[in-house]
Amino acid sequence: MVKEIAIKVENASKKYCKSLKRSMYYGINDIGRNMFGLSSHSGKLRKNEFWALDDISFEVKRGETLGIIGPNGAGKTTLLKLLNGIFWPDRGKITVKGRVGALIAVGAGFHPLLTGRENVYINAAILGMTKKEVDEKFDDIIEFAGIGDFLDTPVKFYSSGMFVRLGFAVAVHCEPDILLVDEVLAVGDEGFQNKCFNKIGELKKNGTTVILVSHNMHIISTFTEKSVFLNGGKANYFNSVAEGIKEYNKLFIKKRDLEIEKICSGNNKIKFTNIKINKRILHPGDSFSLSMEYSSAVDYNEIDIDTVIISNNEPSIYFQATNKAFNKKINLKKGKHSMKIDIENIRLHNSMAKIVIAIYSKNRSGYLFWWRIPVEFKTIDYSTGKNFYNVQYEVK
Amino acid sequence: MTENIVTYEPDNSLKKGYFSIFGEIFNELKKNRWLTYQLFKRDFLAMYKQSFIGVLWAFIIPLISVGTFIILNRSGIFNIGSINVPYPIYAVLGMAFWQLFSTGLIASSNSLVKAGPMIIKINFSKKSLVIASCGQSIISFAVQFILVLILFICYGIAPSILILLVPIIIIPIMLLTLGFGLILSLFNGIFRDIGNILSVLITFLMFLTPVLYARPTSGILAFITRYNPLYYLVSVPRELILMGGISEWKGFLVASIISVIVFMVCLVVFHLTETRVAERI
Repeated sequence: MVKEIAIKVENASKKYCKSLKRSMYYGINDIGRNMFGLSSHSGKLRKNEFWALDDISFEVKRGETLGIIGPNGAGKTTLLKLLNGIFWPDRGKITVKGRVGALIAVGAGFHPLLTGRENVYINAAILGMTKKEVDEKFDDIIEFAGIGDFLDTPVKFYSSGMFVRLGFAVAVHCEPDILLVDEVLAVGDEGFQNKCFNKIGELKKNGTTVILVSHNMHIISTFTEKSVFLNGGKANYFNSVAEGIKEYNKLFIKKRDLEIEKICSGNNKIKFTNIKINKRILHPGDSFSLSMEYSSAVDYNEIDIDTVIISNNEPSIYFQATNKAFNKKINLKKGKHSMKIDIENIRLHNSMAKIVIAIYSKNRSGYLFWWRIPVEFKTIDYSTGKNFYNVQYEVK
Repeated sequence: MTENIVTYEPDNSLKKGYFSIFGEIFNELKKNRWLTYQLFKRDFLAMYKQSFIGVLWAFIIPLISVGTFIILNRSGIFNIGSINVPYPIYAVLGMAFWQLFSTGLIASSNSLVKAGPMIIKINFSKKSLVIASCGQSIISFAVQFILVLILFICYGIAPSILILLVPIIIIPIMLLTLGFGLILSLFNGIFRDIGNILSVLITFLMFLTPVLYARPTSGILAFITRYNPLYYLVSVPRELILMGGISEWKGFLVASIISVIVFMVCLVVFHLTETRVAERI
């Protein structure tokens, strides 16, 4: 049996304007043209405009789940907004079959002064539910949100968690045929997140088409079957989610920058020479070591050594420690000596990262050494998540 | 399962032709009646919740305007003209009808901007939003009408039985307000100048329209009044209540027709162009 098509995107494009004043002018111009029954020639770019999404085509069948992945600014949110009908395409065509529910910004329609009860009704109405539906599901919604006796309190006195929980509860109870999810699951505590995923799973089982946008490849790989990889407004459709994730991971590997940034390797009193790095491609569990010789004219007592690992995938520091954290006092003696720094058992994977080794004189009063060394962490292509632990399966 | 198929493509509405547009608009409004009511309720509750005297604010604004005019008249700076009913009743009643237009227009023209964060995140009927905001003026109208009834009792005068026609006779002014409100809310969404200029313009318009004074018989103001549809939409309902009859029914009829046309045209224009506002707001 051929499954019914829920969403059909045909050569859809969306343009944005970079300048506010021009955007205002174009807005008036387009409205004016449409007012008098003229085409707005939206397929052409005007000055300061660019295609945020360019010629995108894909189909999603009923009951399927699709993950939309891509780096920041790739157009993921714009695509969701097009599917939701908030923005309209400037070229091409999008056909959507059935009621669309969006978890794009939960609680967006909440008014801070109104109580939880009042807001549930209003928000449900905004999301397209009928009065009958809300009356029927009201208890379920409250139960799901778990806000207890805060039901008749203005939502401005809610904790941010409660606010989001209530918003999410309303949104998932409108029983959409198509559910658009945009990273909202990053909120709420773990218990609530699990509840949300269960609910999405339940909707999926009942035939809801789920479109998920996330930077978390683990969530994408567990919840979706098909994937669209967006980059710079262009889209690639993949029949399997693993293919899409592979493409996403490639993006960061491609951006490799193998130049070591040698910001400082000594001063007029101390010189670091003969610096050696044991490896630049690391596998899970490997150790990284930096060895060097130094010749110093003075004693440097109680120096600080920072070791930092910064992952390129996300702007986050993966690891950071000083020798003080290991309760080690280090003194560099006058004369010619050598030293070695080891970072053991690294568990980062499938990403590019930078290892920073920085040495300061006592109380961080000055740099003695600062190198930033790009490295690559490698494992199997299809795995997800930043950390990697090998798992053995034994079934008896 | 609901089998509603929606297609989004550029200049979508244009391809369908003007006639199917009316059907589309009608269905949308019908489908979103409950949403409109909920938005109306939200605006209403939100406006008065964090306020001590709440809805009574609706009393204060007309009292201040009317009070100012009484003082100006008594001191001889401004001549109200000859009015054969107690001036406070005349003025408060006029203000009640006038603010249907002024409050409604300001509220509705700001409605899209105020709901901006919501509009760019949720797809819902923007017409409902504008209509609900415009409807806020009915609340203050009702409150001011109570003030009018109190004045009637104070002065020991009885209003005409035709006061019962009020819900019908305010329809033209409501349509005119909503029509302008729809269009101005769109433009205000794109450039905020509209909202700023409107509050100034409305005050100016009120002084230009015989709301707080009698219809001038000569001079430039008499000429403007003659062709000012707002004058007929305010003064005819007032006359109906005070006198129990209408002398300027022709003017009212023309003004009503203009209102209906303005409303229809603005509604269609709004429908054709509302999809463009979310990305510019």
